[in-house]
Amino acid sequence: MLHVWLSGIESLLQLRELMFLALGMAIGLVFGAIPGLGGSTALALLMPLTYGLEPFTALALSGGVMGAVPMGGSITAILLNAPGTAPNAATCIDGYPLAQQGKAGLAIGAAASANSLGGIIGTISVLAVLPIAKELVLLFGPPEFFLLAILGLVVVATTSRGKMLRGLITGGFGLMVAFIGYNNVSGDVRFTYGVEYLWDGVRLVPALIGLFAVAEMINLMVKGGTVARDAGTVKITRMMSGVMETFRHPATVLRGSIVGTVVGAIPGVGGVVASFLSYSLTVQASKDPDSFGKGNIEGVIAPEAAINAKDGSALIPTLAFGIPGGAEMAVFLGILVLHGLQPGPLMLIQNQTEIYGLVWALTASCILASCVGLLLVRPLAMVTLVDSEILAPVVICIALVGSFAIDGQIGNVVITAVFGILGYLMLRFDYPRLTVVVALVLGGTAERSFHQTMMMNNGGWSIFVDRWVSALLLAAIVILLGSPALRMLVHRLRARPIAAEKPQT
Amino acid sequence: MPDVQRRCLLVSLGMSGAALMLPQPAFAAAIYPDKNISFVIPDGPGGGFDSYVRAITPAMQKYLSQKVTVVPTNVPGAGGARAANEIFRARPDGATIGIFNVPGIYIQQERGNAGFDLEKLTWIGRLGVDHYGLAVGENSPIKSIDDLKALAKQRPVKFTSTGPAGTAYNATLIAAHLLGIRAQLITGYKGSRDYVMGAVRGDGDAVVTAIPTLRRMAAGKTLRIIATFEEHGSVPGATDATALGQPELASITLQRLVAGPPGLSADITATLADAMTKALAAPEVEAWAKKADAGLAPESPEQAAATLKEQIAFYNKWKPYLKAGH
Repeated sequence: MLHVWLSGIESLLQLRELMFLALGMAIGLVFGAIPGLGGSTALALLMPLTYGLEPFTALALSGGVMGAVPMGGSITAILLNAPGTAPNAATCIDGYPLAQQGKAGLAIGAAASANSLGGIIGTISVLAVLPIAKELVLLFGPPEFFLLAILGLVVVATTSRGKMLRGLITGGFGLMVAFIGYNNVSGDVRFTYGVEYLWDGVRLVPALIGLFAVAEMINLMVKGGTVARDAGTVKITRMMSGVMETFRHPATVLRGSIVGTVVGAIPGVGGVVASFLSYSLTVQASKDPDSFGKGNIEGVIAPEAAINAKDGSALIPTLAFGIPGGAEMAVFLGILVLHGLQPGPLMLIQNQTEIYGLVWALTASCILASCVGLLLVRPLAMVTLVDSEILAPVVICIALVGSFAIDGQIGNVVITAVFGILGYLMLRFDYPRLTVVVALVLGGTAERSFHQTMMMNNGGWSIFVDRWVSALLLAAIVILLGSPALRMLVHRLRARPIAAEKPQT
Repeated sequence: MPDVQRRCLLVSLGMSGAALMLPQPAFAAAIYPDKNISFVIPDGPGGGFDSYVRAITPAMQKYLSQKVTVVPTNVPGAGGARAANEIFRARPDGATIGIFNVPGIYIQQERGNAGFDLEKLTWIGRLGVDHYGLAVGENSPIKSIDDLKALAKQRPVKFTSTGPAGTAYNATLIAAHLLGIRAQLITGYKGSRDYVMGAVRGDGDAVVTAIPTLRRMAAGKTLRIIATFEEHGSVPGATDATALGQPELASITLQRLVAGPPGLSADITATLADAMTKALAAPEVEAWAKKADAGLAPESPEQAAATLKEQIAFYNKWKPYLKAGH
């Protein structure tokens, strides 16, 4: 085992491979930062260029891109409340308030170190799990996918503290939007009103760009001024203390990494769920849950650790069965096939050096990207001082162009614009946008998996408890749903004896 | 200027103007190809069709008389209809061609407001063809088609598949009917790897899909192929259409046909067909095909058009059965 790990590193430590790794990292950083682009676009654009490369070099390049994208995404998420990639939307929630308080450097520093640590922990988990990857992937079928989707929705609903009803409303809206389009189960086309573009449904990335990037810029223009509320408070020198913050919250990093690793390995669920789940669980476990959303550094560390951990484990279903863990992985599969590497159980046996080399490339790129990100913090944080009159139009333009660039459809731009306005209204009237995102991501999976489960079991519900993994997930859902009530009960029980001791007045 | 001289001047100017406007002789006519060619793919990067196109376009460039780039262009969406529309509406100057999943794209055309007509396109050739096969999970108690038939007598056999707009769905229903097996489809899976995994996991009893996909999974000892729908079986240990007494099973195929817009000239079609056939025989393409287990099966333009008609006729024959909502 160790010998294969080492052969992976050895193959990577050639000058050509390292150069391509660095190139991939630079591209990943830039593409990750620009909303709407991201890893899948970068890999798709690079694919024809990899044609002439050796397979291993192509893997080094791809690993470089995939490892750096999250860091790029977190920078724009923190500075502009515009997530560079969908999973980074969770980083916006506490990252942007920190930037508004002038602590952009602190946030980016924490994101950088969380990225690196998450990536390392993710890598170790993947290396440990790869030998039993096949069996693990086979444990998750439609019943488990359905319960996971419900788990994701429940987790997010229970963290809309005090705004539970609003959370449910926006979540319901997200689910409704998720059902638009061609339904793979029945063959019906729903709610498209004859618009051909909507046959594939409302795509997540344009909607996300609208909800966060555009909405935020509209808000900024209405408010006026700059992102950082007071220019004097922009302390970019707190970068190093930001890096150290991660080490001060080891539980958060570990929790985020584990969630990222586990969720990332489940195909189709993807990075968004990993980051939001990690965020929500951190809020739940915190002693001061109300401080989240206002600039709690743990709210940056948790999702960032999850995102980088998920990158490594998303390789598991991709390499073991050729089932992409997400859009990025789907393009990566194409690169593999182009180079004659057939993903599948055989690959795990025959191409071990390549696989381990890729995993190391991912990790190296992730750490490198964090360092480069740190070097760029100073100039980047200046963005928060740019006046909204300049910043907003520029960002909105980039957002709309990025939305179009995904696959060249003008429909994407329309979606971004519509969701931009909706997002602004949600901001203005204080409705959570988190639930819309999660519902959009999970709605389709939940419905499809439920129908498949029913078809598998001829309409019986017993299947959810007959399989041990679904039984476990069901238990987790019940606990999560019950825990706020439980907490309140415990709180009241503790308060009663004290009240009894109060002297009668 | 005196009258006569002016008239002469005007007449000579007029004549030279008219002469300039006359159709120019051959040296000014563009030699095809004179600009880059866009090779449209109906799927996103990373899919099966994408891999085929990206593997042959560099080779194709070598065999074209002028130095141009053949650019693989991904136009995903609407189950392939978006790409089909783009090719159907393109100018017939040879700058846009594309690859089609037949009969998959015909199913999309039947949807109604598709906007294109496959039989009007100018067919150029074929890159490959896949036959289908039937497999069960490695741990399944089912060992042969007869076992499946026995199971079907107790309850419908569950097959994992895509939605009704997919080729696999129809392939599964037709195959099950020809084999005399009562089938129930578990639909909703997103792609071929997804529903094959479903069979491996045990969501369903069996799966019908293209043979290369099955072979890949079987090599990793997760699947067992029990039948291939070919005249002469290519998988040892698995029975074939002839042995099963159902030669019609071999008509269930996935064709990767290439076409250009309606009205493409015969010269341009011939140039493209020639370049494609040579590219498919190129050593680097053959090497890729071997490694990727991708079948290469070139056809001439006339053969490709005939294949399309055959596939459409086959699908139309089965349409009433398929639409009866199984």
